Order: sequence, then C-alpha cells, then structure tokens
Amino acid sequence: MKFKEINPLTRWISTLLLLLWTVCCVYPLVFSLFDSLKDNQQFYNGKSWDLPNFPLLWSNFTYTWQKYHFGNYFMNTILVTTGSMLLALLLTATTAYILARYSFRGSSILYYLYLSALTIPTLMLVVPMFFLFSDLHVNNTYAGIIMLYSVTAVPMGMFILIGFFKTLPRELEESAVIDGASYYGVFFKIMLPLAMPGLITISIINVLSFWNEYQYALVLLSDALKYTLPVGLAFMQGEMQYRIEFGPLFAGLMISTIPILIIYVIFQRRINEGIVAGAIK
Amino acid sequence: MTAKQKRGLFIASFILPTLVLYCIFTLYPIVKALYISLFDWSGSSENMDFVGLANFREMYADPIIYKSISNDYFLIFWKVIGIMIMAIFFAVALTRFKMRGANFYRVVFFFPNVLSIVVIAVLWRFIYNPSLGFLNGFLSFILNRKVEIPWLGDSQYSLWALLPPAIWSGIGFFMILMIAAIKSIPAALYESAEMDGARQWKQFTNITLPLIWEQVKVSVVLIVITSLNGSFAIVSVMTEGGPDNSTQVLGYYLYQMGFKQYHMGYASSIGVLILVLSLITTVILQRLMKREVVEVS
Repeated sequence: MKFKEINPLTRWISTLLLLLWTVCCVYPLVFSLFDSLKDNQQFYNGKSWDLPNFPLLWSNFTYTWQKYHFGNYFMNTILVTTGSMLLALLLTATTAYILARYSFRGSSILYYLYLSALTIPTLMLVVPMFFLFSDLHVNNTYAGIIMLYSVTAVPMGMFILIGFFKTLPRELEESAVIDGASYYGVFFKIMLPLAMPGLITISIINVLSFWNEYQYALVLLSDALKYTLPVGLAFMQGEMQYRIEFGPLFAGLMISTIPILIIYVIFQRRINEGIVAGAIK
Repeated sequence: MTAKQKRGLFIASFILPTLVLYCIFTLYPIVKALYISLFDWSGSSENMDFVGLANFREMYADPIIYKSISNDYFLIFWKVIGIMIMAIFFAVALTRFKMRGANFYRVVFFFPNVLSIVVIAVLWRFIYNPSLGFLNGFLSFILNRKVEIPWLGDSQYSLWALLPPAIWSGIGFFMILMIAAIKSIPAALYESAEMDGARQWKQFTNITLPLIWEQVKVSVVLIVITSLNGSFAIVSVMTEGGPDNSTQVLGYYLYQMGFKQYHMGYASSIGVLILVLSLITTVILQRLMKREVVEVS
C-alpha cells in the first residue's frame, strides 16, 4: 500500500531543523579552519566568523608543528594508535573466537567478567593505574599505554566479534580438520579471513577512541615529548594564559582533527554498523 | 599428547594472554583503588598511614563533594533530556518522514562524536571567549550593542555553559542507535495504523516510542555511565572546576586531589564514590524505566 504523505508543515519544520543542525555540526569545524589561518591582529580586529585575510597564514601549521611539538605528538599518536589497534585486534579476536565456538568450564564467567568492565568508571582506575605503571616500570612508555588501551577495547570488540564468529558455518571448520589443519590453522587460515568485515569494523571504532583518548594519557605520560595529540592540545591551551596565539592553537586543533575526520568519512558505514551491533542486543 | 590435551592447550593459548592483561590492567587496579582509599597517602610510598574509613568521613563533611555530586547530576539530567529528545526527533525525521538526503544528515550529525573531547573543549572555550568569541560576537551582532558576558568566568552561567558542548557532541551516536531501533519495527504495524487513520504523532506515541523503549533505556544508561566519567575532560580544559567550584565535578575533583594536591588516598575514595554512584544510578534507572516489553509477532 502507499503511505500517506506527511503533513507539509511537519515536513517544512523538520527540514529547517535538520539544516540548522547541519550548520551546527559543520560550521565550528569550518571556522576552526578559518581561524587557523589568521594572525592575532585579525582576531582582535574582526569577528570570529570573518573569513581569514590574504595571504592565508599556512605558516601557523608549521609553527605549531615545530614550536609546539605537534610533530612529536602526531607521531606519538600514530604509534600508540597503530600499536593499540593491532594488539587489541589480536586479543579481541582470539578471545571472541574461543567464546563463540568452544564451550569449556568457566567460559560464561569469562564472558560476563569482560562484559562487566563496560560499567566500570575509568576515572576510578586512574590513581591505581599511575602507581601500577611505575611498579611495572612502564610509565612514559608506549608499551604500557598500548597494553592498557588494548585491554580497555576488548569488551566492546568481543561483543561485536562473537556475533560474527557465531554466524560462520561449522562445516568449514570440520572439513578443514579432516584435511589435516591444526586448531591454529583453522583460526588463522579460515575463520579470521571470514570474519574480516567484523575485524575491520572494530579496528576502526578502536582507532577513533585511541586517537582521542585523554584521561589515561594525561595521567600516565608526564614526559612532554611523549604526549599524544589530545594531551598536547590541552597543554597548548593552558599555555595561552601566558602567550596568546589563537591561530597556531586552531592549527593544532586541525592537526588533531583532520586525520580522524578523514578516516571517519571513509569508513562511516562500518562505524555505523559497529555501533549498532555493539549497543543493541 | 591426547586430543583433549591438545584442545585444552589451544584454548588456553587463546584465552590467557587477554585474561592476564585484563587482570593486570583492570581487576588489580579496582582492588588497588579500594585499598588505597583506606589510607592517608601522598603518593610517595614511605608515609602510607592506614586510616580505615576516615577518607569517607572526610568526604561526608566536604562541601565540595556535595557541590560536585549536584553538578554531576545537573549535567547528567540535562544531557539525557537534550540528547534523547534531539536524537529521537532526528531519527524519526530521517526514517519515518522519508526526508531527502537522510544519509548525508546521518554522516554529518556524527562529526562532533568523532572529535576528541579536548578538541571539543578547546573549541567551545573559544566560542565562549568574552571579547573575541563567537557567542558574544553573534549576540552583539543581533542586539546591535557590545555584549561581553564572561560565560565561563561567571558562576551564574558557567555550569549551564558546559551543557551545549556535552549535548552537541553526544547526539550523533544516539541518533544512530535510534535509527537502527526504528528501522527494526515491522512496516506492517505502521500500515495498519494508517488504515485506521492514525496520524504521524499518534503513530509515534503508539508504535514508535513503545517499540524503541528498550533502546531508549540502554541509551539513557549509557549516557549516565559515560557522563560521570566524561565530564572530567570538558571541565579540565574549559573551567578547571571554577569559578569558585561552580563547575566542579567528581571526576575533576578526584584529579585535582590526586595529581595536583597529592592526596592519593582521598582521590581514591572519590573514585570509589564514583563507582558506587554509577552502580546505584544504573539500578534506579532500570527500575524507573521498567516497562512492559511490547511483543511483536
């Protein structure tokens, strides 16, 4: 049957609100980009929504990259994000595979143990984590941060991946075993490639959260050259009390934002699926 | 090696690495947090005095704790209201109203969720800047006179000023959940409602809302859990709890106590308070929002 058209007034108001919110979501990013190309004079003389004057100050970006060490922060963030993504993938996939395909004593306890981690407020762990890191001699190291990030990503990822592994047909496994494949062979050669869509989804969701993580990085990285982008940006914002340089600050904001925004736009469909798979059911 | 041993070894080799790391980086710190909360401790190991529940008694008498709790719940309350109303409205508009460009809106509305909370805080701190910021500039433009309200520097406005960035950055995520929930409602229900002459609003209150209620519940609990945690970053970059503790929240107070004033024991007991509060709030919410699950055949 054909649906009745909705009331024109409703449609009109909805369109207006949708457009208004589009502006609210996009415009702050656009004006950040504009502001990253201005000098202080333009901030004090003009309005913050003015277009930047020519010549555009692309030098703000190189200035922030070098003088405010955003080059370092950028590389640190790439390193931490990539490392955590790979380790999280390994930990999550192995655990999810076993929990989805094998039953053994304690398997459901394990499942709920990991799941309950989703409700623990991470702030509570910040103080003990600080001392744990120095006890393990991993403070100010990427190794420590990478292990920590990976573990925090396991519960959510496991949730999504178990669904994927459960849908794969059991016959595949059985015929592989008949052909003489080992347990490891079945996992790495057959199951892992088949679960690739799920693996990609959780990796991208993880990259988003690792790239942006702030609380742990703030407390656990005290060496200024080890900062990640969020910590570096917060630090730079603090410096503005003594030296006001809005253009470079917005350049730093753009450097922290553009890479992850690009990743989002490319992979938005997968992120969408991951959120839905993780939160519903 | 028997086949059974082989299988056991395989399972162990896949389970143990994660389990070991989980014990070290999650279980142990929880226990340690409870343990530290019983001590008067500056963080340097020599002078760790066992004081039992004294930290909790101190919290009981600390007015800033009460201020922080009330600020936390103020933010949570308005965040839940603001985010859920807008997320549900946008989701309904993009699914039921069959608006053009639905996919475009879905992608764009998620932009703020992609940003680091620090980026959001820096951005909004500038928007609120008294002399240069966007908000006062915009108001000056509309009212045609100079407006220089110190949004973050005046305790009259400061707490309210934290709400727009928090809501702005949360809507996209929950809109996606609501869209998925609405899409899973069988079209036949709407068809028969149309046949009975039910208008959009009636369809919304009688079909859509009851059938997405489970997801609404999940979302509210998610907002609450992440809020007690997440206000920390916004407060730490935008106001540092000020002026005059008007924007103090438990998370930032914990950080201040632990890492600025070196009262690790007290900080840890605030952490325990956060855990207890989030557990209690979750349980209460589940109770309050209990509702017959509508069966769809």
